[in-house]
Amino acid sequence: MRKVIVHPQRCVGCMQCMHACATAHSKSKELFAAALESPLPKARIHVGVGLFNEGFPNRCRHCEPAPCQLACLPGAISRDVETDTVLIDPDLCINCASCAMACPFGVIRYHQHCYAPPGKVVAVKCDNCFERQMQGLIPACVEVCKAHALTFEDPSRALKRRTDEVARSVSPGVLQTDLAAGFSVLNAHKRQQIEIALRRSQS
Amino acid sequence: MNDLFANRTMTRDGQLLLEKAQRDRIETVWDRFENQLPQCGYCEMGLSCRICVMGPCRIDPFGEGPQKGVCGADADIIVARNLGRMIAAGAASHSDHGRDLVDVLQEVAEGKATGYQIRDVEKLKRVAAEYGIVADGKDPAEIAGELAYAMQEDYGTRRKSLTLLQRAPAKRRAIWDKLNITPRGIDRETSEMMHRTHMGVDNNWQTLLLHGLRNALSDGWGGSMIATEVSDILFGTPQPAATMVNVGVLKADHVNIIVHGHNPVVSEMVLHACQSEDLLQLARENGAAGINLAGVCCTGNELLMRNGIPMAGNHLTTELVLTTGAVDMMIVDYQCIMPSLGSVAACYHTKMISTSDKARFPGMQHREFHPENAAEKAREVVKEAIENFADRGEVYIPVEPVKAIGGFSVETIVDALGGTPQPLIDALKAGTIRGAVGIVGCNNPRIRQDFGHVTLTQKLIENDILVVDTGCAAVATSKAGLKLAEAAQMAGPGLREICGALGIPPVLHMGSCVDNVRILVLASALANALGTDICDLPIAGAAPEWYSEKAVAIGAYFVASGVYTVLGPMPPITGSMNVVKLLTEGLKDEVGATFHVEPDPEKAALAMRRHIEGKRAKLGLPSLKV
Repeated sequence: MRKVIVHPQRCVGCMQCMHACATAHSKSKELFAAALESPLPKARIHVGVGLFNEGFPNRCRHCEPAPCQLACLPGAISRDVETDTVLIDPDLCINCASCAMACPFGVIRYHQHCYAPPGKVVAVKCDNCFERQMQGLIPACVEVCKAHALTFEDPSRALKRRTDEVARSVSPGVLQTDLAAGFSVLNAHKRQQIEIALRRSQS
Repeated sequence: MNDLFANRTMTRDGQLLLEKAQRDRIETVWDRFENQLPQCGYCEMGLSCRICVMGPCRIDPFGEGPQKGVCGADADIIVARNLGRMIAAGAASHSDHGRDLVDVLQEVAEGKATGYQIRDVEKLKRVAAEYGIVADGKDPAEIAGELAYAMQEDYGTRRKSLTLLQRAPAKRRAIWDKLNITPRGIDRETSEMMHRTHMGVDNNWQTLLLHGLRNALSDGWGGSMIATEVSDILFGTPQPAATMVNVGVLKADHVNIIVHGHNPVVSEMVLHACQSEDLLQLARENGAAGINLAGVCCTGNELLMRNGIPMAGNHLTTELVLTTGAVDMMIVDYQCIMPSLGSVAACYHTKMISTSDKARFPGMQHREFHPENAAEKAREVVKEAIENFADRGEVYIPVEPVKAIGGFSVETIVDALGGTPQPLIDALKAGTIRGAVGIVGCNNPRIRQDFGHVTLTQKLIENDILVVDTGCAAVATSKAGLKLAEAAQMAGPGLREICGALGIPPVLHMGSCVDNVRILVLASALANALGTDICDLPIAGAAPEWYSEKAVAIGAYFVASGVYTVLGPMPPITGSMNVVKLLTEGLKDEVGATFHVEPDPEKAALAMRRHIEGKRAKLGLPSLKV
C-alpha cells in the first residue's frame, strides 16, 4: 500500500505543501477561490523550524495503535483500513482536545472547516487526502512538493532506496557525494550563523 | 539582560529598547523575521523564477523534480537572471538618487531651487574640468548648468563610456574594455539588464553575469559617483568633525526631529529650518530648550559627514528609536525605510512625514518636497514638529551617547596626509600599515545587530589594517566607540603609531552607502600613485551584514573594480554551483578579484588578512604568514 513518506533532508522550507493542503481541503479546490471562502480552509500539514532555521513538514503519522483514537471519548476517531488512514468524524467530535493531548507529534488543530457542521469547531488533522485518493489522485502535499521531501509510495520501495543510498556511501573508494551541493553550502552557512549566536549565549 | 534581546543586537541601546518595545507590544523587524521562518529554500537558492506567466517555476535542487522552468531555463540561467535583476534594482536605486541631485544642480543653475546653493565652487570646477567643461570666465551657476547637462548625458545613450571612468587606473579600464563590460550609459545598462533577463533573450549564464558587472559599474563609476560628487558640490565636501552617536543623542528637553532615508536634498533643508532663529524661538515658546536634529541610516550619514549632526542609529534601530517616545517627528525620503514605521509611530505621539514623490508609506503624512519648494516645506514640517512637542507622553532615553569623528572625504584624507597619498603609500610599503579594508553595508536580522561590523573591524585594526567604512557599517563602529582618536589604543602598533601621528581614528567614516565610491576613488588614487591596478593593492572590501539589492550592486562594482570582497550573508546563488564558482573563483582570471562568503567575522578577518599579505608579497613588500 502506498503511503506519504517524509524525507526531511530534502525539505527546502517553501511551505507549498501547506498551501496545497489548505486548497485540497477547501470547497472550491482552487487556490484563489479558496482564499476567499468562509471558513477559510487551513493546512493540515505544518512546516516547522529546526534548530538551524531549516524546514520540516510535520504531518499526522496515522499511528497504529493511534493514541488520539484511544483517547477519543465520543469515538469520533476511526481508522480507514483501505487507505490506512486515521480519520476524525466532525459530527461526533466534541472539541475536548483529548486527542491533541495524546498526540505525540502535535498535528491536531481545532477550527471550523467546510466538511464540518457549520459553526462547529472540531478537531482537524491530515486525512491523507482521502477524497482525492477516491478520485485516483495522490495527496496534494506530495503532488506539489518538487523537492521530493514528500513522496507517495510503498514504504518498502522508499526504504530500499534509502538502504541503497547508505550502501553506496560506504562503497570502498567512493567519496561521499552530496544530495545537492548548493543546498549543503546554504545549510552549512545558515548553521554557522546560528552557531555564532549559540557560542555567544554559552560564553 | 534578556538573552533573546542580547542575541538580536549587541548594542546596549538596542537591547534596552527591545525590552521597551516588548512592554509596549511593538512588533519589530526581528519578530517578523522569526514569523517568516523557515524561509523558502527555492528563493534562498535563487531557484525560483517569477519572470513570466508561463511560470512561476522552481528547480528541484536534488535533481529528481523539475530541472528546467517552463521556458527551458535551467538552474544556471535562472540563478544568473535573478542575480542580474538584483544588481539592476540596486544600481537603479543609487543611480536614481544621483539623478535627483543632478536635477537640483540643474535647478540651482536655473535659479529655481531657492534654498540650495553651490557650497563647494572649487569642487564644481574640478569635476566640471573632468567633464571637459571650460570654467574660465563663467560664474558657478553657468558651470553648474553645463555640468548638470553633461552628467545627464552620462545617464543616457549618447556616450560610448561614462565620463568618470577616467578616474580608474588605465590597466583597469583595459580589463573592462577587453571583457566588453565598460559601462556606456547609467540607465542603459540597467535597462539592458531588464531586457536580457526577459524570457528568451540572454540565456548564457556567463554573459548574463558579465553584464551584471557592467550594470554594477554603471552605478559605481556612474550614478553613485555622480551622487557623491554633486552632493559635495551642493552641500560641501565633508571635513572631519566630532559628533555623537546612538539613541542617547535624543534630548528629553528638546524638540527631537529624526531624518531617515538617503538623499541629502531633503535633510539639508530640514537642517537649515532647524537652525533658523524664528523656529528656535517658537520651540522655546512651546516649552522646549531647542531643536535637536538627528539622523538614522544614510541621510543621517550625509548630515553627519558635512555638518556633524548626531546619529541615532542604523538600519535595525529605525523602529526602536521611535519606542523612546522622544521623537516628535521622523522625516523620511527614500530607500531602506521599513513600511512598518508608521504603525510603530502610531503607538506614540511621533508624527511621520514622507517627502518624496516616489516613496509613500502607510501611516505617514505626505508632504512632497521639490527643489523649488523644499526650503519652505522644511520650515512647515519643522514647525509642526515643534507644535507636536507638547503632545509627548512618557520619554525613555536609555543610554548616554558615544563620541565619534566623521567626515573623511578623499579630499580630507589626502589633506590629512599632507596633500598627497604618499605617506599612506610609504606606510603600506614599510608594512607599518599592512593594508586597508572598506567595510560597508547594512544590518540584517539574520545577524546580531552590529556584531559582524564591529568584530571584523576590531580584528582588522588589531592587525594593523586601516579600516574605512560607510553606511550602516560606519554607524555600527561609531556606536562601538571605534571612531575616536583614542580607539587607536585598540589598533596594532603600526596603525596606532600612524593614527597618533595624524590624530585620526583607526576607522575612518567615509560617508553614506552611496559614498562607497569615495573608496573607489581612494583606491584608484593609490593604484595610480603606484602605477599599478586596483587588484594589485593590499586592500579588500566587506559587507558583513548586507541585506539590500543596493548592496549586491555595490559588491559587484567593488569586485569588477578589482577589490576582493567578503560577504556575511549568502546571496541567493547556491542553486547554481556554476554561478557560485564563477563569482568566488572564476572572476579572478577575468577581473583580478572575487567574492568570498563567510558568516563568521573572525574567519572573514583571517581571509582578508591572508589576501592582503598575499598581495603584499606579490608587490615585493614585506609580508606575513597568516
